[in-house]
Amino acid sequence: MTEEKKDFKKRLQGFTFKALKATIKGVLFYGIYFVLSMFFAPISEMVSGFQQTIEIFVMVYIFLMIVGELTAGTIFHHFFSAAKALFVILYLIFALKGGIVGVTVQNVNLVVDLRLFLVVAMLLGLLGFAKSVLQAINFLNEKAEHVNF
Amino acid sequence: MRIPIRMISLATTFFWIFLIVFFVSAVYSVKDVRFDFKEPQMELTSDNKILFSLPITIDNKGYYNIGSFNVTTEISDKQGFIITQGSTFIPIIEKGRHIIATHNMTMGINDLQNSQDYLFNDTELEVHETVGMKLAEVIPVQASTNVSVPWGAPLYDFALGEIEYTAYNLTHMTAIIQISFENHAFFDLTGSIQIRMYNSTGILICEGQTTIEAMQNTQYQEYMELNVPITGITEKGHFEVYFSTPFFKAEEPLVVPYD
Repeated sequence: MTEEKKDFKKRLQGFTFKALKATIKGVLFYGIYFVLSMFFAPISEMVSGFQQTIEIFVMVYIFLMIVGELTAGTIFHHFFSAAKALFVILYLIFALKGGIVGVTVQNVNLVVDLRLFLVVAMLLGLLGFAKSVLQAINFLNEKAEHVNF
Repeated sequence: MRIPIRMISLATTFFWIFLIVFFVSAVYSVKDVRFDFKEPQMELTSDNKILFSLPITIDNKGYYNIGSFNVTTEISDKQGFIITQGSTFIPIIEKGRHIIATHNMTMGINDLQNSQDYLFNDTELEVHETVGMKLAEVIPVQASTNVSVPWGAPLYDFALGEIEYTAYNLTHMTAIIQISFENHAFFDLTGSIQIRMYNSTGILICEGQTTIEAMQNTQYQEYMELNVPITGITEKGHFEVYFSTPFFKAEEPLVVPYD
């Protein structure tokens, strides 16, 4: 009974630590977004929907980050990491409309070519995805090593 | 395997930070770049062509250089026929630099002669303006707009008045014809008008020439005298009017009937 209690306490401590870590990461990420959003304020005024697009991205990213942190120490942590990397790639492709962004302000058509930025971001996203896959393989590897036949 | 994964993690984080900081600062620094397009000016060159000048002031107080700054102007008529186009290219505008450039474009008035509308009727020209640049020399940005600019006809409302005949001698009469128009163009009009008078059978009965001088935005009204043989005079007929100025020379005459 005492051992069960100790085990429960240990698990609770572990979960609390994970939750705390996830909260800190989430707050930190939101803080970075908050600072960057001030720089993007002039664009948000010009481009309708820009703020909303960024906010949806931040919300989903923070959600995946928190869930990933809460499932740390399990294979699901790596699944969520991979999902996060894929989400970044796909969201950038859709949000940036393939890299050519066009806005019409009054009588002026403004076109920004972000293809180079998109390619670099996609490559970094793929690198993150590859890292998650490697981590998952490594995780399974280490688990397999601990199995005592 | 942990060390390679950690190295990938570090590299990914570093490049993400670099990419985001670079992109945000490049976009943010645009607010410190000032483009000032001044009032376009039109004047005549020594070879009698219209010169459009657009003074541009660029003050780059951003964090990065601006590359491939390009201004392109295309002027076309309402039917989409391109009359003239011009381009100004500045390869690089370094940060902290203040540049004054002039975007020039020339247009011969003879280019407009495809339609006599431009000589006799006020109309509008379509101007397609494109400004392109590379922010921080890597992010291409292009802004374009279409505007209509008024075109003032140099011979607006051109008309020949009623012919008044007075006796000249036994065989000829003097035909006095009033010539009137308004010069709506942005330049002073000088040149000559040649008038050929045909009777109802299509026979050339007389011709004459007069000089014209009309300041911009003024009305021109003068009389021209022609000595016409009495035998050739008919009630109806037509005039052929030829214009010749340093800016344009009409190959096709303007036909004005009289009765």
